[in-house]
This record gives sequence, structure tokens and C-alpha cells, in this order.
Amino acid sequence: MSGRTMRSGADLDRPFPDWEKMNALLTSAVAGLTAGGTYALLGVCAVFTYRLVAVVNFTGASIGAAVTFVLIALFEAGFPIWPSVLAGIAAGTLTGVAIGYIMTRWFGEASASTKAAVTVALLVGLIAVGLRLTGGQHPHNMPELFPGSAFRLAGVEVTIASVLTIGLAVLFTILSDLFLNRTKVGLNLRALADRPMAAELLGVRVQLLSLLVWGMTGAFTTFALMIIAPQRSPNFMTLSLLVVPALAAALIGLFRSFWWTLAGGIALGIVEGLASSIESVSQYRGAIPFLVVLAVLLWSQREARWDEAR
Amino acid sequence: MSRLVVSNLSINRAELPVVTSVDLIAESGAISVVLGANGAGKTTLLEGLSGVIPVAGGTIAIDGRALQKARPGARSREGLAHVEQGRTVFRQLTTEENLRVSLHPGADIGEAYALFPELVQRRTVKASLLSGGEQQMLVIARALLTRPKVLLIDEMSAGLAPVIVTRLMTAVRKLADDGLAVVLVEQFAALALSIGNRAYVMRRGRVVYDGDCAKLRQSPGELHRLYLGGTETCRPDG
Ligand SMILES: Nc1ncnc2c1ncn2[C@@H]1O[C@H](COP(=O)(O)OP(=O)(O)OP(=O)(O)O)[C@@H](O)[C@H]1O
Ligand SMILES: [Mg+2]
Repeated sequence: MSGRTMRSGADLDRPFPDWEKMNALLTSAVAGLTAGGTYALLGVCAVFTYRLVAVVNFTGASIGAAVTFVLIALFEAGFPIWPSVLAGIAAGTLTGVAIGYIMTRWFGEASASTKAAVTVALLVGLIAVGLRLTGGQHPHNMPELFPGSAFRLAGVEVTIASVLTIGLAVLFTILSDLFLNRTKVGLNLRALADRPMAAELLGVRVQLLSLLVWGMTGAFTTFALMIIAPQRSPNFMTLSLLVVPALAAALIGLFRSFWWTLAGGIALGIVEGLASSIESVSQYRGAIPFLVVLAVLLWSQREARWDEAR
Repeated sequence: MSRLVVSNLSINRAELPVVTSVDLIAESGAISVVLGANGAGKTTLLEGLSGVIPVAGGTIAIDGRALQKARPGARSREGLAHVEQGRTVFRQLTTEENLRVSLHPGADIGEAYALFPELVQRRTVKASLLSGGEQQMLVIARALLTRPKVLLIDEMSAGLAPVIVTRLMTAVRKLADDGLAVVLVEQFAALALSIGNRAYVMRRGRVVYDGDCAKLRQSPGELHRLYLGGTETCRPDG
């Protein structure tokens, strides 16, 4: 932003805000929306997974990242873009199901912390393999799926990508609510999340339902990553670590509320965008999710919120 | 007419034998009562039957179909229902939602309310907010909606008022009279024996008595001796 200049002391005393500065802030806030939408969507998927199969899943973003790189490879090899995207979403769904299979087959009886540790291990493995295969920082040509701007907000361009990720996050939130509360499969899933063994004893197809959950979140996270990849440095590690702000968003929803997670993810993106425009803090903006995690954890300790069920 | 036949069943917990060589039968129209002191292995036996935990040896069959290797869900679909110890309602779901989870395509939710009309006015209440007696009725009703042939019930009367215990016992007797095979694990020995047909007493994982409920009820001294130990086995019928 070259328009910004040093202000004299007299300027600071002016009673009205500096519009130029405000506009710069607004631009960066809006620029944070795409990231915010992605955090929200990944966060809502994490809450979905946690509530229904009781796993804090660290692999969500890295599955998406892996598939995004497959998409890049196909694209670079000259394949048409949309069939590649569909193939990618299918691959993301299958990878989700595969990880779900590992979790239910071998770690079904494990404690929540063991399950989380397993997904961290899977994440580290995926990153190692991913970096090796994609050549680390080697620049890739990631196609922008939805280039251009959707509309102008207070004179600032809002990109289609950000509208789409936020829209997708809202859609996933609404669909999750409807699915869980209005369908028989959703009812079975809620029963399963409440007492897995009691559900299984009643003949609920526990494994099938768990795999369904993993597949659904796999599909949505993959699509989200494909949209956001061009906006980030398309590096396997960076994309995989999007799971950190996503889990921070999930934490804002206390791993329960879809809507709070959604709002938390978007807010995180906006705050990050704002931080990037303020020189003194911009280099620390990567730490924002950690600060949020810390703040929420401390707050929840003070509040001692107990899940009424447990 | 259905029949659960358990033979030579052994179950380990943490590598130690907890149930050893148990033979047991439950038939349509009858209640098989399983008694025994705390830690005798009653819950472990039922969990082995329904597949909550794996068995180490022996066979479990309903109408000749072997179940000992099947997963709990598959056993449920073969007609085995298990009402676990501790009233395992789905806490976050309402009464009616709890019933809908188990609703077999051929069953009607009205059957559950017919058995326990108390639940009708609690339909839309979250199950975690029901009283202990209501929760027990709910888990029994929920199991029934899977259309079972054999119903395993573990300590349904624990912590409930006597009047409710009697109410539940009457309901279970009615279920048996309607053709269900029931395996009833109980601490209230006298009451259980009064509604039961066949009695089993377990001690340290083994069946030490297998006989008539009526006979055992008439000799409280015998029951006391079986609970506390003495001669290793006693099978008046066999
Ligand atoms: N998860 C477990 N791991 C190891 N041992 C166990 C476990 N659960 C139970 N046991 C042991 O198995 C034995 C039988 O326990 P079980 O719960 O089957 O008895 P029970 O007859 O149902 O007793 P109660 O009347 O108190 O319900 C006990 O000695 C107990 O210590
Ligand atoms: Mg017990």
C-alpha cells in the first residue's frame, strides 16, 4: 500500500478517522475472507468428525493438499480442469474413507487422545511423503478454479473464491444440521456418537456410518483446499498446516457448535488479513491461531464447561 | 419358537478367565434367571453373548445358527437383544428418538408405548432427563423394537424403588409369555426367581447351580450356600 504515509502528531489528533487508512484496513480484512471461509469449512468438518466419530482429525487439510497436488499434476499434464476436479473430489472422498477405515478398524476402542495422536502421526507421514513427491518449495502452476471478483464491498473487491468458500462453509453447516436432525441416518449417527456400543447392539451399522462421515468430510475439505490453494503458496506443508487455524475455529465452537465454528473461522481469517496490513504485527500473523487456541483453552478452563452428557 | 443355546462358553478379561465353561439355555416363553454375587461374571457372560467382548471358547447359537464369531450388530440382526447394565439410553436424544433408532422395519413404535404407557407423555423429553425407572423402561422398549427372539437383561432393578422393580418384573414376565426367550441377570434373587422358569447361579465364573426357579425359591438356605461357596458344583437336575 504505497498510499500510506507517515502522519504528523497533528494528524493523529484529528477527530475523524483517516478514510484512506480505513480503506486499506477494509481491503485487508476482505482479503482475509477467502482464508476465513476455508478455516470455517475445515473447522466445521473437524467438528462434524469429532461429534460423530469422536476423533480430533489433524489430517483433513493434508488429504485436501494431497488431492490438490494430484489435480495440479493432471492439470500440468494437460488434462481438462473440471473432470480433474471431480476426480480429485472422488479421490479425497476415498482417502477420507481409507483414513476412517484405519481409525475404526484398529483404533475404534482407543481413547480420544490416542485417536488424535494417530491422526497427527498420519499427518506427519502425509507431509513427509507429500513434500518428497511434490518437490518441497518447487513452484507449481495451480489453476485458479474461480478467478475474478464477485462484487465490490465498500469499494473493495470480494473475490469469487472467498464468496464460494464461505458459501460452502455455510452450506455444509446447514446441511449438517438438517442431515443430523431430519434424517434416519442422521439420527443413527447421533445415537452412535452418544453411545457407540449401545447403537451397535441395536443393529445400527456403525462402521458403515463412520466411513460415511469420513467420506463426506473428505469430499468437502478436498474441494475447499482446491479453491484456496492458488491463494496460498501451493506448498504441501503450508496447505497441510491449514489444519491449525481450522482446529482453532473448531475450538471456538468448543468442538460442538457448527455455527460458532463457522463464525470463528471467518473471524480468524479477517483478523489475519487485518494483521497483515499492520506492519508492526504482520510478521507474527501466523501465530494468531495459536493465540486464539490458547485464549479459548484458558477461557474454557475458567468457565469449566462440562458437556452435560458426560 | 426360538432357542438360545450356549455351551462350554469361556471368556477372559485382561487375559484372566472370568467366565469358564458355561452352559446355558433360554427358550421362547421362558425366563432364565442368572444369579450370583458381585463379580461372579454375570455381566461378562451377557457381554460375551451379545458380542460386546470376544469369547475365548465355546459356542453361542440361536436356533442352530452360530453367533460366537459375529459382530454385535450382526448378532442383533440374528435376533439377540442386550439391555446393558447401567441404563444406556442415548442421552442427547429424546425418548421417541431413542425408540426410532432401534425401530425395525416390521415393528411399530406403538408396541413400545403399549408396554410402557408411562413413556408416552415423556416422548419429547431428552433421555438424560428421564427418571431411573423411565430410563430402564426406555432401554427395554428400545431393545424390543429390534424384534428380538432372545432378550438379555442385566440388573434392570439396580437402584430403583421396589414398586418400579415389581412393575418391570411384571412387564418382563409378559414379554416372555408373548413368546420371547429372556435371560435375566438380577441381584433381587427372590423377585427374579418368582417370575423366572429356569435358574442359574454363578460363582467365580462358573455355573454352580442349574435348575428350577421354584425349587431354588423354596430353599433360601440352599441359595445362600450357593452364593457364598461350599461344594464346588451342585446340579440337582443333572
Ligand atoms: N474391564 C475389565 N477388565 C478386567 N477385569 C474385569 C473387567 N470387568 C470386569 N472384570 C472382572 O471380571 C469379574 C466379573 O465381573 P462382572 O462385571 O462380569 O461381574 P458381575 O457378576 O456382573 O458383578 P456385579 O453383580 O457386580 O455386576 C470381576 O472379578 C471383575 O473384577
Ligand atoms: Mg454386573
